[in-house]
Amino acid sequence: MPNKHNAYLFDATRCIDCRACMISCSVENKIEMDKTRIWVAGVGLTGEYPELQRSTMVYHCMHCLHPDCMSACPVGAYTQAEDGPVTYNPDLCIGCRYCMNACPFGVPHFDYDKGLMEGAFIDKCTFCPQRIYNGDKPACVGTCPTDALEFGERDELLKKAHERIAAHPDRYINHVYGEFENGGTSYLVLSHVPFSELGLPELPEEPINEISEKVMEMTIPFALSWGAVLTAVTVGVAAYDKKKKEKAAKEKEAEVEK
Amino acid sequence: MKIKLRLPEFLRMGTLPIVLIVLMAIAFVVAMVRYTIGIGAISDLSYSYPWGFWISFDLFTGVVISSGGFLMAGTVYILRIEEFKPLLRPSVLTAFLGYMMVAIALLVDLGQPLRIWYMIIHWNHTSVLLEIGICVMSYLTVLAIEFAPVVLESFPKLQKVAHLIHRFIMPFVIFGVVLSTLHQSSLGSLMLIEPTKLHPLWWTPILPILFFASAISVGISMIILESSLSSRYFQRGLETHLLAKLAKVLPITLGVYLVIKIVDLAVAGDFGYLFSSGIMSVLFWAEILIGVIFPMVWFSIEKNRNTPSGLLTGAIVTLLGLILNRFNVSWFGITHPDPLFYMPSFMGHVDYFPTVPEVAVSIGIFSAGIMAFGLLAKYFPVFEAEHHHEAQAAD
Repeated sequence: MPNKHNAYLFDATRCIDCRACMISCSVENKIEMDKTRIWVAGVGLTGEYPELQRSTMVYHCMHCLHPDCMSACPVGAYTQAEDGPVTYNPDLCIGCRYCMNACPFGVPHFDYDKGLMEGAFIDKCTFCPQRIYNGDKPACVGTCPTDALEFGERDELLKKAHERIAAHPDRYINHVYGEFENGGTSYLVLSHVPFSELGLPELPEEPINEISEKVMEMTIPFALSWGAVLTAVTVGVAAYDKKKKEKAAKEKEAEVEK
Repeated sequence: MKIKLRLPEFLRMGTLPIVLIVLMAIAFVVAMVRYTIGIGAISDLSYSYPWGFWISFDLFTGVVISSGGFLMAGTVYILRIEEFKPLLRPSVLTAFLGYMMVAIALLVDLGQPLRIWYMIIHWNHTSVLLEIGICVMSYLTVLAIEFAPVVLESFPKLQKVAHLIHRFIMPFVIFGVVLSTLHQSSLGSLMLIEPTKLHPLWWTPILPILFFASAISVGISMIILESSLSSRYFQRGLETHLLAKLAKVLPITLGVYLVIKIVDLAVAGDFGYLFSSGIMSVLFWAEILIGVIFPMVWFSIEKNRNTPSGLLTGAIVTLLGLILNRFNVSWFGITHPDPLFYMPSFMGHVDYFPTVPEVAVSIGIFSAGIMAFGLLAKYFPVFEAEHHHEAQAAD
C-alpha cells in the first residue's frame, strides 16, 4: 500500500500506569519483565492527596522517520521498513553500542550481563511485525485497557491527535510530540504536562543525523583530494631535492676542476 | 645458611618490567571475567552510559597519542626534512603500539569482539564508526609495513625484504597520512550525531577539524615525551636540538587550534556558556588553559625549548590538557537522556563512574604497550637512523 506509515499514538492523560503493556510485551517476545521493550517513564505520581497528579508514559522505540541508530551503526544492523518500523538485526551486530549513543531518546538496551559465548546484543521494540502484518495490533496496544496506546496510520493518528487537542484545549499541551521532533517519529505523544516530565528530550525539527551524514559524504572526495595534494607535494619536493643535489654536485665539480 | 638463587638471564629484570607484567596479568584476569559473565560485571556501563572510560582512554586517547607516527613519516619522507630521521622510527613504533592498544581494548569493549572483522565486509556508509574502523585497520597495516624494516634488518637473510620495503615505501606513507587525517578527524565526527547530548561548549559541526588540529599538537608532544622517557630509561642521549625545533612549532599549531575554537564559539553564539555552565565551564577552561594557553606560553620561552626538563614538562602538561579535551568530548561533556526516572529499579543508574576492574583493564593494556616498546627498543635498532644500516648493508 503506498504511503502507509505505521505509527503509535500515546495519550498520557489516559495512562493509569497499570503496566499491562509491559506484561504483554514480555509475553509476546518471551523476555523478562526487567528487560521489556516497553517500559514506564515519567515522574509518576506527584503531589499530596487530594491534589494528586499522574505523569507517566510508556516509552519504547520511537521508530524515527530519520533513525539515528540506523545512521550510526557501522555494520548496518538497523533497517527501516518502507512503512515505518525500524528493525534491529542481531546477526550483524558487533556490540559497539554506538547506536545507544546516537539515539537521542536513549532507547536501545544492551546485554551487559551476557558473556562471550551467549553474545551481548542490543534489544529494542520491533513494532511487533508478527502481529501488525497479520491484521493485528502491536502487543502493547492490544492490551491497553484505557486506549492510552493506539495504533494506526501516522497521518490519521496525527489528525486524531490534533482534533483531541482542539476538543479539550484545557486538558492538553498544544503540541503533538513526535510530529516534527528529530524530523518526525512514529511514536506520537499527547500530554497534559510538559513533555520533559514524561522523560522526552527536547529535539529540533532537523534530523539529528543530518550533519553527521553530510560530513560522512565528504569522506571519499576529501581523501582523494588530500591524497592527490600529498602526491603532488612528494613529487615536487623530490624534484626540488634532486635539483639541489645536482647543483651541489656541479658546484663541487667546478671547485675540484679549479 | 644462605641460599643463592640464580635466575636465568631472561628472567632477570628491573622493577619496571615486573610492575608492567603484574598490571597486564590483572587486566587479563578482569578480561576473562568479562568474557564469562559480561561487561556489566566488571564495569559501571549502563543503558544511559554505553561508553565510558574504555572509549575515552583506550579509543579516543589511544588514537590521538598515536598521531606522531604520520607527522614524522610525512616530515621525513614527504617533506624530506632528513634531520628528523632519528625521531622517525620511535614515532612509528609508538603509533603502531598505540593502535594495537586500541584494537585490544576493543576486543574487551565490544559486545561481539569475535565479529570485529565484520566492519571489513559489512558497510554502512553513513557510519562514522565504520570509517574509523576501516581506517584504523588499514593504518595498522601501513604502520606494520613502515616499521617492518627495523625488525627485518636484524636478520641477514631478511635484509633484502627490508630494502624492498624501503624502495616502495612512498605510496604507503602517503596512504598513511591520508588515513591518519581521516580517522583523527573522524573521532571528532563520532560526536556529530549527538548534538543534543554533547554540551554546546564542545559540540560543533567542525568537530573533525578541531580534532585534527589538536591531534597535530598531541603528536608533537608525544614525540617529545617518548624521546624524553626513553632517553632516561635506556640511558641514551636526547636529541634536544630536534625536539626544540618541534617544540617551536607547538605554539603555532596550538594557536591555530585556539583561533578556530574561538571563531567557532563566536559564530555559534555560545560564549555565554563559558561562565554559566557550572562544571562544564570549569572543564572547558581547564582543557583550554592546561592544554592550549599554558603550552603556547611555555614553549614560546626559548629556555624551555632547549632543556630536557623544559621540554618534558611542557609536553606532559600539553598532553594532560588535550587528553582532558578528549575525555570532555567523549564522556564528561555528555548528558545522556534518562527516560526512566520514574522506575529506580530499572536501568539502575544515570550516573557513571568507572570501576576499579574497568580502569585496571585499560592500565594493563597500556602497560602491555610500554612493555612491547621497551622490548622492541632493546632488541631492535629502533633508535638508530636507517641510513646507518643501509650503509652497513652496502659494505
